[in-house]
Amino acid sequence: MNDKNIVLFDYIKNSRVKGEFSGSIISKFKEYVNYIIFSDNIKISDDNEVQISQGLMVGFERGVKKHLAFSKKDDFIWNNIDDCPLEYSVLIPDEIMEQYDEGQFSDAFPYTITMLHTAGLYQKDPDGFSVDHLEFFQGEILKNPVGLISRGICVADRVVIDHRGDPVFYDSIIVGRNEKDDLSVSYEPLVNVKMDDDILRFIIILGIENLKE
Amino acid sequence: MLIYENKKAKLLNILKIGINPFKKFVATGEIKEELGFVSSRKDLMESISSIIRSNENFILPIIGDVGSGKTHLFWNLKNKLLFHNTFYISLENYRKFYYSLYSEYIEELRVEFLRSIANKLCNEWGALERKFGFFHVADINKVRITAFEKISKGFEDKIALNDIINAITAHQLDPYKKLEAENWLLGELMDFRDLAHLNLLYDLRKKSYAFTMLKIIIENSKKGSVLFIDDFEKIISLMKPEEGSEEIFDPSYFYGSEGSSLDNIAAQKILEKILNLQKIRSIKIIITLNSIDSLEEIQRNIQEKEKKLLLTFKKPLILSNFTEDDIFEFYRKNMKHFLKSVNYLKFTEENTESYFPLNENILRNIYKKANGNPRQILKLLIKIFNEIIYSDDTLENIIQSYEK
Repeated sequence: MNDKNIVLFDYIKNSRVKGEFSGSIISKFKEYVNYIIFSDNIKISDDNEVQISQGLMVGFERGVKKHLAFSKKDDFIWNNIDDCPLEYSVLIPDEIMEQYDEGQFSDAFPYTITMLHTAGLYQKDPDGFSVDHLEFFQGEILKNPVGLISRGICVADRVVIDHRGDPVFYDSIIVGRNEKDDLSVSYEPLVNVKMDDDILRFIIILGIENLKE
Repeated sequence: MLIYENKKAKLLNILKIGINPFKKFVATGEIKEELGFVSSRKDLMESISSIIRSNENFILPIIGDVGSGKTHLFWNLKNKLLFHNTFYISLENYRKFYYSLYSEYIEELRVEFLRSIANKLCNEWGALERKFGFFHVADINKVRITAFEKISKGFEDKIALNDIINAITAHQLDPYKKLEAENWLLGELMDFRDLAHLNLLYDLRKKSYAFTMLKIIIENSKKGSVLFIDDFEKIISLMKPEEGSEEIFDPSYFYGSEGSSLDNIAAQKILEKILNLQKIRSIKIIITLNSIDSLEEIQRNIQEKEKKLLLTFKKPLILSNFTEDDIFEFYRKNMKHFLKSVNYLKFTEENTESYFPLNENILRNIYKKANGNPRQILKLLIKIFNEIIYSDDTLENIIQSYEK
């Protein structure tokens, strides 16, 4: 697969690649919801139908007085890709996934905290329903974080909240847009996010219950 | 300002401190030998390297007289074969052969090697399966089942294999058993409670466990493995009870008749274990013997057990004594090594043709007296240098006495 085909669908650039794809695929919803779907497949048919079978949708949903993080496994079907809530779908190249795999096994962390249920570690929300548990988890290692940083998605093997209260993602895949709005994918062994820069939108810690099923 | 320096006198003064450039006349598998081979032996080295490079499994006999440099050959091979792990095996301590061999491996290759093999195997067994295309949620039982299905065909002892798979997967995938699993894989002795915690039956002292573990790490190592078994005659000497030795009791009472003594049984077993190593893919064995007769005797013994194993034997290579030219090269190399160690290499740079404090005649005499045997040559050199170092006699007198 060539580099052009990494981006399977991009609403902003009005691009799409028709066909069935398998591998490691990240699909992001448009700004108003900011949900993310992780899947190992996607199908964009000739008549513009989009199908994702057994993907894991992650995001924050509005509760009674607060926002709650969630992750749920489901099949997703939209009849028309142009009207669907997806902003983009990206197939992560194999070489990046190999680096990601190596990073996961390069060290052993027996004291890593694995959450049973998906939980919100941090969310900065304009509605005033913000979530901030960074201080509570300071110095801890949390498994399977998903972050939305500025306009980029960060999927990492683990996140550590350092002594300043800043999250540090280890073994991360970053999907984001550049200044020309082109999508790109990269692997970063370490991503340090400074809270003072005010770019962090949310961090969700995926619970093992959805992953184990 | 130093106008003139008598370098020969300075070298003598260095020697007089008590440092003999020729220290030991017996090489061992434990102490690293830095000096390479003399020119006449380079063809032999090339032949051995070529056999190692172009064959997967074999037993290569090297025949050489006592003191001809067979153990020194091991160090040369170890320094030369960069894409092989080369191990020295002595039959002096032949108890728990596979366990000792495994310990040698781990001691040489260190824990990092073990970790990387365990990691590689777990990846191959599906530990990196990605849920939703991204998340590794290794199901340890599933990985174990996959592992067993994938590799069990090549292993005889399935119980041992099952326990080894359990230990490797626990090491990689169970953070709460990682430490104990690593200790087990390192060959540490474990009590019943530790083994029960890991859900294992035995530690690696058990013969079949050590053999299975050896097979796994050798076959999955990126480098080839060369076992250098020195003094293979030891097998024969153990098989034959010494004539005239006094027996306190008749061993045949316990171990059957016709030459079956404790040592004989042990020797037979060790021979079987060494031959059994041929079941491990890409293991290369070099054995050293003093004579071709010994090799024939061992081969006769093997023929009685399993004739086809003889096919793995390569044509023996002969390690000859030094040629006369070799002694000069050997002396120079040793002296250079010594001068480097005392930070006085300047001496050789300015005296390139000199054999000081000895001379060509003495070296020739030594060669003749030792019949070209390297160990005898070394013994004589040590003797002369000891005299130079410790005797009150002048250097001229000492040299004269040895020139005769």
